[in-house]
Amino acid sequence: MKGIVRNLGLTSTLAALLMTAAAVCAWEGVAGTRTEYEADRPPYQVIPPQQDPGSQEFPVPVKPLPLTITPCRSCHGPEKDFKINWSRSEILRVHTGIELKHGGIKVWCLDCHHPSERNFLLPLADGQLIPFSESYLLCGKCHGTKFRDWRHGVHGKRSGSWSGEKTYYLCVHCHDPHSPRFKSLEPLPPPSKPRTPQEKVAAH
Amino acid sequence: MTKPKDHFADEETILSQRGPGSRDQRKRAEAADCALPSRRSFLAGATALFGMMAVGSCSWEEFAQNNFQRMTKEEIDRTVERLKREYKAKYGKEFVVGAQRPIEGTLFAYGLDIQRCIGCRKCVYACVQENNLSRNPQIQYIRVLRFRNGSMDLEQSTIYYDPEKVPEDGYYYMPVQCQHCANAPCTKVCPVRATWSEPDGIVVVDYNWCIGCRYCMAACPYMGRWFNWTDPYIPTNEVNPETHYLGNRPRMRNVVEKCTFCIQRVRNGRYPACVEVCPVGARKFGNLLDPDSEISWLIRNKRVFRLKEELNTQPKFYYFFAT
Amino acid sequence: MARSGFIYGVAKRLTTGPPIYYAWVALLTLVAGIGVVAYMKQLERGLVVTGMTSYVSWGLYIGNFTFMVGVAAAAVLLIIPAYLYDFGPIKDIVIVGEALAASVLVMCMLSVTADLGRPDRLWHLIPGLGILNLPSSLLGWDIVVLNGYLFLNVFIPGYLLYKAYHVKEPNMSLIIPFILLSIPWAVSIHTVTAFIYNGLVARPFWNASILAPRFLASAFCSGPALVIIIYQIVRKYTHFHVKDEALFKISEFIAVAMALNLFLLLAEFFKELYSDTHHLSPLKYLYVGLHGKNMFVTWIWTALVFNVIAFIIFLIPRTRKSLVTLNLGCVLIILGIWIEKGIGLIVPGFIPAPLGEVWEYLPTTIEALVTAGIWAIGLLIFTLLLKVIIPIETGEFTRESRASA
Repeated sequence: MKGIVRNLGLTSTLAALLMTAAAVCAWEGVAGTRTEYEADRPPYQVIPPQQDPGSQEFPVPVKPLPLTITPCRSCHGPEKDFKINWSRSEILRVHTGIELKHGGIKVWCLDCHHPSERNFLLPLADGQLIPFSESYLLCGKCHGTKFRDWRHGVHGKRSGSWSGEKTYYLCVHCHDPHSPRFKSLEPLPPPSKPRTPQEKVAAH
Repeated sequence: MTKPKDHFADEETILSQRGPGSRDQRKRAEAADCALPSRRSFLAGATALFGMMAVGSCSWEEFAQNNFQRMTKEEIDRTVERLKREYKAKYGKEFVVGAQRPIEGTLFAYGLDIQRCIGCRKCVYACVQENNLSRNPQIQYIRVLRFRNGSMDLEQSTIYYDPEKVPEDGYYYMPVQCQHCANAPCTKVCPVRATWSEPDGIVVVDYNWCIGCRYCMAACPYMGRWFNWTDPYIPTNEVNPETHYLGNRPRMRNVVEKCTFCIQRVRNGRYPACVEVCPVGARKFGNLLDPDSEISWLIRNKRVFRLKEELNTQPKFYYFFAT
Repeated sequence: MARSGFIYGVAKRLTTGPPIYYAWVALLTLVAGIGVVAYMKQLERGLVVTGMTSYVSWGLYIGNFTFMVGVAAAAVLLIIPAYLYDFGPIKDIVIVGEALAASVLVMCMLSVTADLGRPDRLWHLIPGLGILNLPSSLLGWDIVVLNGYLFLNVFIPGYLLYKAYHVKEPNMSLIIPFILLSIPWAVSIHTVTAFIYNGLVARPFWNASILAPRFLASAFCSGPALVIIIYQIVRKYTHFHVKDEALFKISEFIAVAMALNLFLLLAEFFKELYSDTHHLSPLKYLYVGLHGKNMFVTWIWTALVFNVIAFIIFLIPRTRKSLVTLNLGCVLIILGIWIEKGIGLIVPGFIPAPLGEVWEYLPTTIEALVTAGIWAIGLLIFTLLLKVIIPIETGEFTRESRASA
């Protein structure tokens, strides 16, 4: 089962950019009328459920990586082959947009990223490389109980139908893997207070 | 409940700066919308029976309408057609007024991870929009309570918190809405059976049968019920035309309404609006009778609690701690 | 022939009287008219014109209703000794007490109707046509017992007066079962009304088993106190004779009832104060204020002080048997119980709200006017009833007197 998911993931990584536009349209079909709060969703794209339900365990929305840094191999690879930096440093010299705040002081890029195969993440015990689209597999390596809860729909978010097809949000949709703490939001306005004697709010 | 004094003074400012449409705008819109019909209804009513006056524009069909539970298929169809005509005339949109029966083998329940909730109130406003809640006077089915860490004393909580960003350090949040109790104190007090538990566990109100005595509001330990003290106001361009008879169809004045787990969505297989909108996935929904559903799994595997369980109301709304 | 004679006689009696009668009826009609206009305003704009909110969703109307159910129930006090023990002086006057009960019941029903959001849907309550949710809704039961009580209080004096009008002896074996039935029935109306609030787990202030006994105890104070005052007015303006002993007998009942009422209040205070749980909050709000909200504190202390003073007045035989102090005590009791058993009982049930918020309630002018109007309508009905009943009772207005006139 895991293999099926991963195989599909490989193809979906390549297809992700092409499918962007199609996905938006298809989503409209799934969700029916889009109301304003639904437009409130994070701005990543969602792959609609597959036609053949047997082809994977559950439908997965995929977040494509930014065009500016993909494919990683164009820098980290045989052509340029930057030096592999094995040791942790506080300030990143490249990828300066990244703030590394994951798991305290010990975690370093190469705890997740494959040192030589930069288009992939480190493999699980089966040795198969993990594509970015299936980063949740790698997350589950450390965060086992969260991974289990997520697979049962209890950690994280699902959208669509309670009884049928639904889309799952992946770990990276809500958590920046480099700084996974959920980002704070501006709350919507508090409720108005009732018209009571003290408040002297004008009657309607 | 502790609230800083200046909150009172700031209310207008907050509403006008950040509310979805400032209070003044809403008031003006309401005045334009309602002034004329209500005056006309007053004049018409003055000549009619005194009881009929409360309705004014109330048709004979509406007046004589039966309790939804006792209606035949034909009566339901006729009523739905009439409502569609009325809503079309009022809002200029084609409405869907569903009357779907419960799906066989479903018993709905809700899970809310209070460890995840960040108190952003997105659910509150998604609910307002989905369920055609009155913007003025304001009705919001979901109250998000903020507690100080270390306490779950309701009297010390507040729903009026308004920081720049949530979550705030030192606080946690607990949204409360209708708990859809299996042993509901509200339905048993209703003198006319205008509110009841559906077979799929949703507690509903027949807005056309409610006499407005508000006994159910006194009976509810969760403040899950709201009363339309005057004509509800929904901006025409924001009205949601996908409705259900027992759910989000526009209500009339002087009747009680409440959360229905978005009956118009869930009976069509969709998640409730508050589940869909929650940015942290703290809200879970599903079928208790399906052992593989999210809700069944979380009840089996997580530590859950229900609000005021000592009252034996047996809510189908489970708060839980995912971690 | 006889019937048209009766109607003519009634009409004549209702339209003739001393100037103070005209002034009184005109005043009541005016207040009732203002009440009706205020109610029209409420119908036109919705219940938003009241001070009620989603937090305090019942207010003056329901408070007034509760108080008046107590007054109506107190008719039982007059029935028990009058009919069962044939205690002379009270028997003369019991019919007037029942007319009061009937008038007050009309006020009760008007109060509930004023509180209803959708009076146009009242027919939903009629069994068969609508649905009366029995046995589970206490409000449904209350409608049953109030209507039954109204029937008894119209039927019993109606029958007795009919016989008196025709100068015949009433058939006691026909009427006694109804009289006996009316005694538990009177207890039931106030008990069921207490159970309306009592059964709500959401409201700890009401959810105490002491509530129904306290209701009855306080009703047995306020109802008879009102009766004492009314009888003095009646005997001043009519030929109807009420002996002082009857009034003093009633005041003895009041002393006992007030002692019980204060004792039950003490029991409630002890339980809440000593256990000191969250259920203390409504009582705290009522007597000292909660989270800085204390609008009710002055009122409830006034009520308590009034009740205690009245209790002392009724306890001491000398003050109980002087009409001046007796009347003072009656007025204090009526005001005290009206505050305590009216909105003093209803409003704190909602404060704090079940999720802990503290929002207060103050009736609006419209609510006050509608309530005044309901009182005026009740008093008007009562006045007009007395105008017909008393001459029949005293034998001035009978079939013979009409025929000879």
